[in-house]
Amino acid sequence: MRAYDLRSSLFWLLLAIIVLIGSIRMGVGRPSNPGMGFLAFGASGLLVIFSLLLFLRAHYRKEKPGVSLPLFSGDWKNVLLVLGFLIFYSALMPHLGYLISTFLLLTVLFWIMERASILHPVLLSICSTLLTYVIFSKWLNLQFPEGLFSF
Amino acid sequence: MDLFDSILYGFQVTFEPANLLFCAVGVLIGTMVGVLPGIGPVAAMALLLPATFHVTPTASLIMLAGIYYGVQYGGSTTSILVNIPGEASSVITCIEGYQMAKKGRAGPALGIAAWGSFLAGTMSVVGLMLVAVPLARAALSFGPPEYFALMCSGLIILTNLAQGSIHKALMMALVGLILGNIGLDIMTGLPRFTLGLNELTDGVGIIPLVMGIFGITEILTNLEGTAEREILKTSLRNLWPSLKDWAEAKWAMVRGSIIGFLLGILPGGGAILATFVSYAVEKKISRTPEKFGHGAIEGVAGPESANNAAAGGSLIPLLSLGIPPNPVMAMLFSALIIHGIQPGPLLIRDHPDLFWGLVTSMYVGNALLLVLNLPLIGIWVQVLKVPYKVLFPLIILFCLIGVYSMNNTVFDLYVMAFFGAGGYLMRKFGYEPAPLILAYVLGPQLEQNLRQALLISQGSFMIFITRPISAAFLVAAFLLLISNVLPFVKKRRKEYDAFEE
Repeated sequence: MRAYDLRSSLFWLLLAIIVLIGSIRMGVGRPSNPGMGFLAFGASGLLVIFSLLLFLRAHYRKEKPGVSLPLFSGDWKNVLLVLGFLIFYSALMPHLGYLISTFLLLTVLFWIMERASILHPVLLSICSTLLTYVIFSKWLNLQFPEGLFSF
Repeated sequence: MDLFDSILYGFQVTFEPANLLFCAVGVLIGTMVGVLPGIGPVAAMALLLPATFHVTPTASLIMLAGIYYGVQYGGSTTSILVNIPGEASSVITCIEGYQMAKKGRAGPALGIAAWGSFLAGTMSVVGLMLVAVPLARAALSFGPPEYFALMCSGLIILTNLAQGSIHKALMMALVGLILGNIGLDIMTGLPRFTLGLNELTDGVGIIPLVMGIFGITEILTNLEGTAEREILKTSLRNLWPSLKDWAEAKWAMVRGSIIGFLLGILPGGGAILATFVSYAVEKKISRTPEKFGHGAIEGVAGPESANNAAAGGSLIPLLSLGIPPNPVMAMLFSALIIHGIQPGPLLIRDHPDLFWGLVTSMYVGNALLLVLNLPLIGIWVQVLKVPYKVLFPLIILFCLIGVYSMNNTVFDLYVMAFFGAGGYLMRKFGYEPAPLILAYVLGPQLEQNLRQALLISQGSFMIFITRPISAAFLVAAFLLLISNVLPFVKKRRKEYDAFEE
């Protein structure tokens, strides 16, 4: 855990410094007339202190050799794939519309989970896409993007 | 209106067809969410919140609350039959419940869990009625300094009750405050930390944030493992516990209900902590502690009662003070705000239909849950058999639809993916999301009260000390913080002395 704390404390420290600078630029104001950066200044200032404390504690902490666990165990590539496709889906949906982009996303997700034949994921994703389209778009009147193909 | 008239009025509201329907839908979805691992009550509520925009605030709240206490019921089924907690608040039920199931006593385990949940749910509703109204009256005298102090002490209590490191929980609360700062400034109307993006002028949306941190993170974490479940093949007969079972479990239920109710009120307490405390108490006072770990029915009855009682208890700070004590209540808080209702001491006076309708719907919901969980247990066992490989892509799709439907913008999908990845990394690095969510929700109010208090006092921070209620809250929070720091300082001192010697 020591290495994780060292890395994460540095991340929070960096974030806190950025917010601190941003809040000073916005105007911290005075206690009698607090500015719009007042709370952010206080919160990020405290976060700087806590991050430094965490870093120092982790730095001086003794850890028995072999205790540290790997950060990513198991099938972490699946995690990256799913996250990547979520972002890809968000970018694709306005252009391709709900039906096509959701079909593609679900096929990939079902395939990631199964990793066998492609037929099963394709059938499942066709059913799921159409069913959710009927329920949410036709019954509940949600406005999904139609995309280039207008459906 | 006296208490009796209010209860009658509440039942009148609950038995309106639309409200009754939403109550039934809420507890049904709650039970399903509880049974299925992979999506918790917070993500489920976030998912369904947009679906309640077209109904009355009362129906919306009745359904969302139904999901919460329904989850507590459903979680026990998975714990007892699969030895995997459907919900974090059912973790402890695995210990004794699964052992009972292995001995062929799954029926009594499920039965006592359902009855314990029903009794505790009912008791907590009575407690809620008795405590919330006087507390709201008292809170009417609170001004900005009192509210600021109350929120600060709430956040500090929350970080103290966090499961991991208090240090990291405090850091998460600060990150939540910063996140809550994004958007237009409440006093000047100018944008803050929006990075030039128009979509951020209203701040980071609670739905994509919660769905990312709770929903997507949970799925990503499960994707790493093999995620295979094996349902115990056991008899599901004799769901009605025997007289001997009742005799052994009755006081455990009462104790669990009291513990759950009291811990539910505390910020950060909630259902999870209540189950652990209840189990520890039962084990400690048992005449036969050696039975624990081998299928002691008290170890199922106590924690299952505690998690349901906590659901009722945690509504008290939200409905009477306007302060959500845990992320689930933060979702209800957001639902109220979205419907244009300000949670706080005036809620009971200005919206009696909402308050009494919600309270009495919990009586009705608890009775519905008993019907759903005992005679229909076979259906939930079938639901448990839905394979992960089908379930997870569908949960992701529902998350995407839920988030998109909030504002009809893909920007929210990016936000959800961002916080999904962030939540996953936070979990890996040992940071708890609950303080972040709560601080994010409370942030704007905390800031408003702080700035108003300072304007009143013309910049003097002494206003928080000179006013007795505010001072009492801050002193309590300070003592709590010190109580955590002192053992650490003592330990370091001992290490230093040892080094010197």
